[in-house]
Amino acid sequence: MKLNTVIDNTKTRIVLLPDILKSFLRNSLLGYLFSAPHPRDALVYMKYWSMTGVAILIFLGQALFKLGPLGLVRSLIKNPWILTLLRVNGLANRLVRGRSGMYHDSICLTVHSVALGVLEQLRDMLFDPKHLVIFEDLVPYDIARAMGLKSYLLEAMGIVLPIMHSDASLQYIDEAENAGMNPDACSLPKATVGMVLKGHMPKGIAIVSSNMPCDAGAASYAFLQRAYDLPIYRLDVPYHFYNERAEKLFARDVMGMITWLEERTPGRMDWNRMREICNGRNYMLEMETELWDMLRIRPAPLASEAVWLSHLWHFNITAGHPISIRHYEKLLEMARKNYTNKLPATENEKYRAVLWNPPFLHFIDIFSWAERTYGVTLINDSMTYNHHEPIDTTSPETMLRDWGKTIMQGPMVRHTRGPAENYLDDIFRMVKQFNLDMVWIANHVGCKGGQAMNGILRERCRTEGIPLLILDYDLSDPRIVSHDNMMRQVEFFMENVMKAQRLH
Amino acid sequence: MPGKTIKVFEELLEDPQNRLVEQAVKNGRIPIGYSCSYVPEALLMADKLFPVRMHAPGLAGTEIADNYLSSFVCSYARGLLEFEMDGRFDMLQGSVYVPSCTHMQRLYDNLVYLRKPAFNHILDVPRKVNQDTLAWMAEELKTISDKLAAHFHVDMSDESINTAMQKWNAFVNVIQTIGELRKKRYPPITGTEFHQLVMASLASPKDLILPYILDFQKELEGRQGIQNCRARLMVVGGHLHDPEFIRMIESQGALVVADRFCTGTIPGFHPIEPIGGNPYKTMAEYTFARTLCPRMMEEFDRRLNTIVDTVKEYRVDGVVLEIIKFCDLWGVDSMPLVTALRERGIPVLKLEREYRLCAEGQLRTRVQAFIESMGK
Repeated sequence: MKLNTVIDNTKTRIVLLPDILKSFLRNSLLGYLFSAPHPRDALVYMKYWSMTGVAILIFLGQALFKLGPLGLVRSLIKNPWILTLLRVNGLANRLVRGRSGMYHDSICLTVHSVALGVLEQLRDMLFDPKHLVIFEDLVPYDIARAMGLKSYLLEAMGIVLPIMHSDASLQYIDEAENAGMNPDACSLPKATVGMVLKGHMPKGIAIVSSNMPCDAGAASYAFLQRAYDLPIYRLDVPYHFYNERAEKLFARDVMGMITWLEERTPGRMDWNRMREICNGRNYMLEMETELWDMLRIRPAPLASEAVWLSHLWHFNITAGHPISIRHYEKLLEMARKNYTNKLPATENEKYRAVLWNPPFLHFIDIFSWAERTYGVTLINDSMTYNHHEPIDTTSPETMLRDWGKTIMQGPMVRHTRGPAENYLDDIFRMVKQFNLDMVWIANHVGCKGGQAMNGILRERCRTEGIPLLILDYDLSDPRIVSHDNMMRQVEFFMENVMKAQRLH
Repeated sequence: MPGKTIKVFEELLEDPQNRLVEQAVKNGRIPIGYSCSYVPEALLMADKLFPVRMHAPGLAGTEIADNYLSSFVCSYARGLLEFEMDGRFDMLQGSVYVPSCTHMQRLYDNLVYLRKPAFNHILDVPRKVNQDTLAWMAEELKTISDKLAAHFHVDMSDESINTAMQKWNAFVNVIQTIGELRKKRYPPITGTEFHQLVMASLASPKDLILPYILDFQKELEGRQGIQNCRARLMVVGGHLHDPEFIRMIESQGALVVADRFCTGTIPGFHPIEPIGGNPYKTMAEYTFARTLCPRMMEEFDRRLNTIVDTVKEYRVDGVVLEIIKFCDLWGVDSMPLVTALRERGIPVLKLEREYRLCAEGQLRTRVQAFIESMGK
């Protein structure tokens, strides 16, 4: 790098220092306490703040022990994004602002439990590379866990990092584009490819990918496999999957994956362990269904991140894991308390909304902003919305069939394949189920499948009399549509279509 | 140099439903549109049916399609929707689609919503090939065959389908023979002409265009080979329908001698070899073998090796990789593909383009620079 560039970069950073300091203070514990929260809320916040801090320290201690001091430093240099994860308490701080009581606590709990899940994931990624299998997102690694393998979802950090810090994925997106990936592709596969290109994701012993959820994601594995030079198994979900023929085909495919993993890794299928995981999944599904039943009440006892962030991590990544089960038990307890005492999550619930398509990863604060500004309460979202049956754990065959169905009919998978009804019917079903006032479409520019449904959806919503906000954004890249612009879109919609008054 | 017959092909490409289609319809035959190479044409040649590759010549704007599909969807899908909405495919009595990519899948959804066609089918083609998916694909073909028989009252018996496969084989043998001429040191045919011939054939009833193709073949026999080309190029990519795109490349002194795109002939135009008694299984195997789309998750190496082998076989100097803007499959796949080809010493030019030929000046400059970069 030229000296002038170094000087310019340094100057730019110096200019930004006051803002960085301000943001750091605001997101620190001190900043939280200065925001004058209710003493009870402050105590709960500090409890979770300490628990998360202790969990991080324990992880670092384990890493020191397992990898040695040099190994730990090497791991941090090879995976610098780990440092971004240290902002987790800052995330909780951002999300709980303006929220109080059980709702406040549920968000503290959610961020804390996701942090525990991420730390578990880091342990798997770093401590045992000889048993490590890489999985594509939307293929939960339940089976790998049942086989005694360690796994991680390659896209998981591309999802978590922008939630922690808006700009965290940008260097990876740029890396992928510079290497020749089409700039109009979804920014999640771009960020994933960028992380691999930079050598920032650990290599395992095998890869499992699929044709889910979109073309860019599936196609990126041709590159990823070559980059890692690892054997790969690809699951193939049929286009028409709501039939027995497809269920059988997919179950055979999953069985093929198990055999393939047994041939190429030290993992061996343990159906009893799989049964425990499936039972855990079923139990979580039961709890989530009860939670949703309570959310039907107006005003809802819990909402927003407590619902969608919980599902995003605990169902997609660690379903059936004791951490996830415990999380849902506590969450349900909190919801029940509010429900029994007739306490709303937010006193200002004026409009109930659903978010369709993936959440705004780099600007998840938009929900708490909309809640405080217009009383828009996010009740549920498309990534969370399941309506499949529990897994029948009677035999390996029933588990394979039903686990396969859970994947094929899971959120996003069923919305991105099959006829338009798969996408549209769920929206209108949710509107009725949760007594919603509006539909928000997270109109990710890189998601062509979603974009191409907007015309039909607009007309259907008009016919049904449901206000529709199509909010343009990019999943992980705030340079495409800025946070300000996103808020303006909400303002225009709320003021012009909903004729809403600002609360403050 | 262009002879009389090539003018016929040019004329047949001016309209998505050319005069041969019109003539066949007048004779009581049934045109079925399709838009993807994973639809086996031979199946749509049974009895009175004939396949018409849907294309959008002279596409100007896509105002209606943009409203429904958005402007972030590939311009081929938008072009088809626009033409459908303008009634430019009104002679087609049915269409068969493949969820080959998100764009095609959503095009189908929007068509069903906007046009409510009497006969429309989406063929569920798996994204990897093994015994299970071959059996699945054969069942899919049987399903559509039964549906066609029930809807159009056509003979879709095994015998009828075997006859259709023979007709298809007769047709591809002729095309393949002409295609082989491009391997010559001095081929008598330009890439533009060959593409006109292939596209016109795909968009017309095969039996009605065959006499013209045979005339053209005779004409080629008397031709001198093209000696003054600066570089022999291969064009690789997705949908490329407009021969003017090839003409634009050749206008810079290059000769396009090989094509690996959806409507190209590599590896697609081989006769179907019957296996066993089940024509659907035969066709399923043939369909998987003839197309090399990045939608197939496990075929990167086959795609790469086919390109490398073609480069050797056709003495290609460089590869032009053409990708329609917003195509995720080719867009993402091009990254490892370009690297792998360059590692093998094959020069590659990646061109992002729209479905219709536009920004010609820029494209010309890039092709020219590419040829110069090869020292030609």
